Amino acid sequence: MAAALLEDFGRGDARAREESWRYSKMALRSLAQQEFVAANADAELPETLRAQFDWQATRGRRVVVVNGAVSERYSDFADVGSMVTVAETGGTYAVRIDGKIDEPVQVVYVNLPSAQPSRWQTNTSMVIVNGFATLVEQHVGLDGAGVLGASRRRIDVGEGARLDLISLCDLPESVSLYRLLDVHLAAEATLRATHVLLGGRLQRLDMQVELAGEQARLESRGVFALRGRAHVDTQLDIRHVARDTACDIVWRGIADQRARGIFHGAITVAEGADGSDAKLSNKNLLLSPQAEIDTQPVLEIYADEVKAAHGATVGQIDERALFYLRSRGIPLADARRMMVTAFCREVLDGITDQDLRNRLGGLLMPHVDGGSS
Amino acid sequence: MLKIENLHARVAGKEILKGLSLEVKAGEVHAIMGPNGAGKSTLGNVLAGREGYEVTQGSVVYEGKNLLELEPEERAAVGVFLAFQYPVEIPGVNNTYFLRAALNAQRKHRGEAELDSMQFLKRVREKLAVLHLKDELLHRAVNEGFSGGEKKRNEIFQMALLEPKLAILDETDSGLDIDALKMVADGVNAMRSPERAFLVVTHYQRLLDYIVPDFVHVLADGVMVESGDASLAQKLEEHGYAWIAERKLAGAA
Repeated sequence: MAAALLEDFGRGDARAREESWRYSKMALRSLAQQEFVAANADAELPETLRAQFDWQATRGRRVVVVNGAVSERYSDFADVGSMVTVAETGGTYAVRIDGKIDEPVQVVYVNLPSAQPSRWQTNTSMVIVNGFATLVEQHVGLDGAGVLGASRRRIDVGEGARLDLISLCDLPESVSLYRLLDVHLAAEATLRATHVLLGGRLQRLDMQVELAGEQARLESRGVFALRGRAHVDTQLDIRHVARDTACDIVWRGIADQRARGIFHGAITVAEGADGSDAKLSNKNLLLSPQAEIDTQPVLEIYADEVKAAHGATVGQIDERALFYLRSRGIPLADARRMMVTAFCREVLDGITDQDLRNRLGGLLMPHVDGGSS
Repeated sequence: MLKIENLHARVAGKEILKGLSLEVKAGEVHAIMGPNGAGKSTLGNVLAGREGYEVTQGSVVYEGKNLLELEPEERAAVGVFLAFQYPVEIPGVNNTYFLRAALNAQRKHRGEAELDSMQFLKRVREKLAVLHLKDELLHRAVNEGFSGGEKKRNEIFQMALLEPKLAILDETDSGLDIDALKMVADGVNAMRSPERAFLVVTHYQRLLDYIVPDFVHVLADGVMVESGDASLAQKLEEHGYAWIAERKLAGAA
């Protein structure tokens, strides 16, 4: 059964899949032992859940996906306009964006439990023909019998086009989610992605980006902040294929209590992709002796003229700094919160929309308070 | 205000303070001098409550309370302030945010009303002027990218803002040029009052030309070996610490 799940969730060949699930094998196996029924896509959403994503700023530009299916009832595309078209064929959604969209479009994925453990999956392919779009994506869920979701997405960003993706995934410990984000960037195309990953029984993000056209650019920011027994596995696979392409990756990880975090950041610069510039920084903070974070930056270069820098660390809160704050009167729990928030700041600083940045900061806050050690 | 009796303290298993006694009354400025390794910085850290400094014997009473029982943040709230010898850089924590959080946490602990941002900024501007610190430093992260002199002046600026009752200056003069030294001294002198006491820990006599102490103590090998008025600092400057060691030996013989 674990093998069947791997088949569903994987990319690459069987061997590569298995290797990439190395640190999450046990979590996957435990999921595989459970029976799941098909999740109900017509269920009513309780007010508490709706309140989590009902942002004033995105009314009229909101798509709500309940257990894998677009919900007519909760979505609201009144203001989206003709630049966006959506079609469905055999359970796969095809989204086409052609033109500049000034206001962010929100996509909400809801994990709603049934009486028994339930399961959903969805496939999306998105094409940004030209222009610029901001997508604010949110994964939310309710605690209950357990939900296992899988979302596979292919995004093509056309020549000179740009996508800003802000993705917030805040899940209770009964929800598991597999996400594949497969991005293809044409010449001079840009993807700016910010991921915030919180909670979940097993959260896995596979993000693969191909810098296929000259001067294509990826900026990836991300943070996971975990507590309880949350398990988050992040796998980045960036391929520089064309000349003068650039990637700039900054990820932070925090694990408290018995949480488990994994960051794997692989950058490949293919033969002929000269003039490429690849940067990866991953720093992690352990807040309890029982927490664990594994980080693995991998750089493979087959081109001659390349600028590349990468670094990864796992550490603890700086005790000297903590004492400094306390010696000025700041209570221990507040001092820890201040330090942990500061640790994540770099990731959110790139979000230019101040309301959105504050909102994400606010959502992160309860996950970084104080720590337990 | 502060009464230290027979204080013994260990750091990493090694005894550094070996029976130190000192009494400080409100309004007084005490200078503590001594050679490297005498225990000067250990004393400051023990008083501020730093982890890893283990008191094995003796007592520290501050305003009638056992100071050693309080957490570092509680000591700050009752008015104890340590100006660090090596101020810590804290990337990502904004200086203004940090100072306001610190001041309001102390006020809250004392049952006083918290300051709003207007009241806070007014107070900040007044104190900045005294130390000739640029406004711009407030927008940076705590001590990040500050020069050595800026870090030390920032310590005194924090002291001015937090208005402690007992301020401990741990080698605030080290690494300062003469102009910065004067600014630091001006900052301290402006705060001298009958309600406030200072412990000025220093290696050199130079700072004491500008902050004239009421008492000077010489700390050597974990105990006070000599006490006197400001003229003792002058004598030390002339004869060096070896002079004290000789006198101590002569006394023992």
